[in-house]
Amino acid sequence: MKKFIFSGALLLLLAAVFAFTIAQGWTPTDKYNIGFSSNDAGGVFKKFSGNIIFDETNTAASAFDVTIDVASINTGNGLQNKHAKSDEWFDAAKYPVIRYVSKKITKTATGYQVTGDLDMHGVKKELAIPFVFRKTGNTAVFTGSFTVNRSDYHIGKPGGDVAELIKVDITVPVEKK
Amino acid sequence: MLKRLLLLGALAGVLAGGVSIVYQKVYTSSLGADFTKMAAPVGIIAGSVLGCLLASFGFWLLNKWLKQKGEIVFNLLFSILSIASILAAFAVKLPLDVESPELFPGLVVPMHLFPAMAWFTLKPIFRIKEK
Repeated sequence: MKKFIFSGALLLLLAAVFAFTIAQGWTPTDKYNIGFSSNDAGGVFKKFSGNIIFDETNTAASAFDVTIDVASINTGNGLQNKHAKSDEWFDAAKYPVIRYVSKKITKTATGYQVTGDLDMHGVKKELAIPFVFRKTGNTAVFTGSFTVNRSDYHIGKPGGDVAELIKVDITVPVEKK
Repeated sequence: MLKRLLLLGALAGVLAGGVSIVYQKVYTSSLGADFTKMAAPVGIIAGSVLGCLLASFGFWLLNKWLKQKGEIVFNLLFSILSIASILAAFAVKLPLDVESPELFPGLVVPMHLFPAMAWFTLKPIFRIKEK
């Protein structure tokens, strides 16, 4: 009986410690917006998913592992969508997802910065993304803007009408898990 | 002659607009792609009437300038412009929240041809004689 009580107490203690050190998990709602724009092309990715663990007070235990479905690209024009998914640009058949996995999240003067690997079009490169986190009760919103050099990921031919630097704007409303 | 032509234009526009709206309903119900925000019924009718009125005015002008050859030139021009306007349907950029933009040309391409079809169909009824 003593052993049973001791084991139970130990489990409770471990659970309490575990709950304290593990950061909060968040589930993205369907109101997210993953947009991109340049001088010539612009659009959104309609399908996004992933694991988001984030705690303002414990950035060391926070982590992002998110995926974007390349085939869900929408530029507002059917012909442009087909072109963007073709092997000349994103090659959605060969590289169906864009994945970002965080390595480190730090607090900055204006918000936070996540450093991680962006795996896109078969190229994996480290990318730092500044973001803001606004929490309201059980919901919150992640917003961030950054630029990606499409030639770094061999997307499209260098030069041409579409600029090398593509601006990406991300807004992800989330709910507590 | 101009009055008759403008009446022809107005009626042909209403006919083309009506046919376009019926086609839109059939297209939407069969494919499930709803583009009524971008192609509202009022806009479709207004665009068709305006197009057909402009055609009537063009017919009148060409008949004044080119006499007997006016109708031949007008028929060619109206047909070529109607077919060329199809390209605009493929180039249009829809709002990003609209699903399946690739289905949009399939809806509006026939609508670009309906005004010319209606105008040519109704013209014999008005017995407009070239000068």
